[in-house]
Amino acid sequence: MKRCLSIFILIVAVPAAAGAASIGDIRLDSKAESMKKAGVGPVIYPHALHEKLYKCNDCHPKIFKDKHGANNLTMKANMEGNFCGAANCHNSPKAFPLFNCVKCHTNVGVKK
Amino acid sequence: MKASSFKRLKAALLCSLVAVFGYAVTGTVESAQAPKKSGDQSAAAAPAPRKEAPSSTKIDPKDPSSVIYLDTSGKPAGIGDPSKPASTAFKAGMGWHPQALSAAGLPKDKYGLVDWAKLVRQNIINPKGSIDPDATDDEPLKMDVVITAKGDFVSDVIYPHEMHTYWLKCEVCHPSIFVPAKGANDMTMVGIVQGQWCGRCHGKVAFPLTDCNKCHSSPKKAAK
Repeated sequence: MKRCLSIFILIVAVPAAAGAASIGDIRLDSKAESMKKAGVGPVIYPHALHEKLYKCNDCHPKIFKDKHGANNLTMKANMEGNFCGAANCHNSPKAFPLFNCVKCHTNVGVKK
Repeated sequence: MKASSFKRLKAALLCSLVAVFGYAVTGTVESAQAPKKSGDQSAAAAPAPRKEAPSSTKIDPKDPSSVIYLDTSGKPAGIGDPSKPASTAFKAGMGWHPQALSAAGLPKDKYGLVDWAKLVRQNIINPKGSIDPDATDDEPLKMDVVITAKGDFVSDVIYPHEMHTYWLKCEVCHPSIFVPAKGANDMTMVGIVQGQWCGRCHGKVAFPLTDCNKCHSSPKKAAK
């Protein structure tokens, strides 16, 4: 019985607690090859910083599906008003603009 | 009954007397001030139009005709009197003035930026070729250049020579900013943001880099 309870805690309670806690930085590098061609590094997305500014449901699940790998982020999609470039986000005067490459991409200007 | 109506009549008479007297007094004060003001102006040799004097004292920010008197933050600025110290707006080089521009009815894009190319295409403005009357103005060069975006996803750029040569001479950009040969300019968006290539003008005197799709307009065929 005790063991059963501990398993239950492991399965249900731990992920729930982890979900409530702050998610740190998320590394976005699924398009690393294309980024390399463009001369920029992967994006380190500061989830914690956005948590302070917005509520979860401001972005999830409307703008970003809250599942790893479920969002096909491209710079083109951002430019067209999806994801980071949503109408009230980095495609508006409320946040820094999309052309500010260095704010998100690492190793900017490093040539290989 | 009779007494109360008489009282009312008396009160009304008194009120009208006060009103007439008040009007007469203020009228004389205003008329006395007016010539003094015009005398000051002639002494300062400032031929400021007479219309501007009263409008400087009471500016209605909602009135589109008065926005020119407001600075960029919407506060009263220039009052049209050269003898007075320069306003904040004047000191700022009479720069970006969103209210005045909006009142002028200039076409804008979805970011609220004035679309200067549209202004030219719709013949809203027709600037002279040069300040020098003898200078010749070359015809715009009708030549679009496709600049391939380096990444796999971002749309390619179609660079219009026509709109650029409408404003500028060839020597403004070639060969100091752009080497006039295909593939000779290793442009990067990072470099442009930092003020190289297109960034020499765009973001400074030409429209800023805010609207990516304005330049990145030709979708890649392989783009998913």
